[in-house]
Amino acid sequence: MRRILIANRGEIAVRVIRACRELGIPSVAVYSDADARAPHVFLADDAVRIGPASPAESYLSISAILDAARKTGADAIHPGYGFLSENAEFASSCERAGITFIGPPAAVIERLGLKIAARAIAGQAGVPVVPGETPADQSTAAIAAAARRVGFPLLLKPSAGGGGIGMKTIRDEQALGAGIEQARREATAAFGDGTLYVERLIERPRHVEIQVLADNHGSVVYLFERECSIQRRHQKVVEETPSPALTPALRRRMGEAAVALARAAEYRNAGTVEFLLEGTGDRASFYFLEVNTRLQVEHPVTERVTGVDLVHGQIAIARGDRLPWSQESLTQRGHAIEVRVYAEDPADDDLPQAGPLLLYREPSMPGIRIDSGAYEGGEVSVHYDPLIAKLIADGETREIARRRAIEALRNYPILGIRTNVSFLIEILEHPRFVSGDIDTRFLETEGQHLRTRSAGSPPAEALEIASWLRSRSADVSRRSVDGAGIDAKADPWETLRGFRG
Amino acid sequence: MRRRIRGRRCGVFVVDALGNGRFRIGARLAYAARGRPSTWVFIDGRTYVIEPERRDASDRLHATDDQVALSAPMPATVVTIDVTPGQEVAAGELLVMLEAMKMELPIRAPRAGRVKALACREGELVQPGVPLVELE
Repeated sequence: MRRILIANRGEIAVRVIRACRELGIPSVAVYSDADARAPHVFLADDAVRIGPASPAESYLSISAILDAARKTGADAIHPGYGFLSENAEFASSCERAGITFIGPPAAVIERLGLKIAARAIAGQAGVPVVPGETPADQSTAAIAAAARRVGFPLLLKPSAGGGGIGMKTIRDEQALGAGIEQARREATAAFGDGTLYVERLIERPRHVEIQVLADNHGSVVYLFERECSIQRRHQKVVEETPSPALTPALRRRMGEAAVALARAAEYRNAGTVEFLLEGTGDRASFYFLEVNTRLQVEHPVTERVTGVDLVHGQIAIARGDRLPWSQESLTQRGHAIEVRVYAEDPADDDLPQAGPLLLYREPSMPGIRIDSGAYEGGEVSVHYDPLIAKLIADGETREIARRRAIEALRNYPILGIRTNVSFLIEILEHPRFVSGDIDTRFLETEGQHLRTRSAGSPPAEALEIASWLRSRSADVSRRSVDGAGIDAKADPWETLRGFRG
Repeated sequence: MRRRIRGRRCGVFVVDALGNGRFRIGARLAYAARGRPSTWVFIDGRTYVIEPERRDASDRLHATDDQVALSAPMPATVVTIDVTPGQEVAAGELLVMLEAMKMELPIRAPRAGRVKALACREGELVQPGVPLVELE
């Protein structure tokens, strides 16, 4: 592998570029017009503009990305997550162009990306599944009929999708018609394919997933679980490993099921087998949900407890190396919790926020890792996912990791746009989170209370600082007319030498 | 530089300006930045957005509920326009579907009325604060 192109943006592009650096492989970034000044562009050895801000014309454009690879002599492409990472056509286009796709073969992505085929493979491998179907006839009436067969409550999912995008919960017949149409539109907008899958909703399950790695020499291992039950609108917000719900015996059963499924699918590279878990302990039952044929957003928690660098692993596998470990040599040590810092307003229905990062300072403390693609003076754009950063805390115990995460969030100022930082703190401090008693409906049942608590009105100190800052800059920095930030010259505290209060 | 401030609720406290947007209040660190028009303050994991006591408060008063309800809450793309001029709509009826950051944002009629005019096109990128539909 001579040169790796990273077909992504934001924190994951930065993460993969760093791995390339560590391995001594030159990296190529691609960027849209909206990202011309983004960190991934500067970090990579080379960077190519691939189009305008709209994802369809840039990060989702197979031809623009392959052109960039040809132009720069990249012989491998890492897709990151989202965008083209689970697009079989992209993987096969890479294969045809003689470029190594760092991920599973196109045929595997295609099979596992189709929920029906994935469930059939799970069936072959003896892994239990949740009742559901993708109607062959995709008319609203036929989907409604399938919904009645599956039974309420149910989920409508984009057949081509992942990551919870476009997923709709339907609780009764009344909500069905409009729900189908909205889900279809969102699926079409996000994945270019409006095919819907109907699935029975298991109430109050946990979301527990197993990380697997498979090489080209027949070796498949699991790197234990991640519990991702704290979700809103099926988007994960907090993830951790180990799961508070798993016993060693259950962990082994789920791990072995994931490996059996990966073998049945002839899986290669890093992948995640997602399960719904009902109950806890040895008597819990788990159901296969789907396979994510890519690196997950939440992969760092696995890295923190296993010591395995999953991106290094992906690159090594893609280059034909053998996995260096056996299942027996892999262990979990300590605990890791990831929180996703989003540009969204918890007090306003999690409405995504776009705007300038007037002040942005990442905390640096023991046991804290931050994966981000943001910088002070930069901007959160309306065009892309509102994820600003992932904060990962680890420690010997779950409690230590939890306290570290809270402390780090208390020292993570992000000003200029609203974020979910205070909401994340409220989640981590909730008695049910503290005790590990969580399920995928946690934010539905507890969220409203936490949102209210996280949105307090400003204390006197905040008002004083604000009015002070305002009055000073009115006096002193009329010259900083652009108002875009706290540029050092315009900082009133700096310029007001000689002031004594 | 040190300023002693009589706070309204906190009694006397001391704010130290440490420079570069950082402030110390007692044992805690705070951060602040001036945006336009709001000032942002971060203390102990909470962010406060403090609006200026504005001269243009009158603009706010003039903004009717209709204008707020009929505008995009954030920069967004128009996915569908679900009404036509002249159409009678009921309160809560879907007028325009927007999309931003992979989410659908429905704009619904704040009250019953007749659609007077449309002020957006499908596929258009619209900005907050500008009504997308005029209601009579």
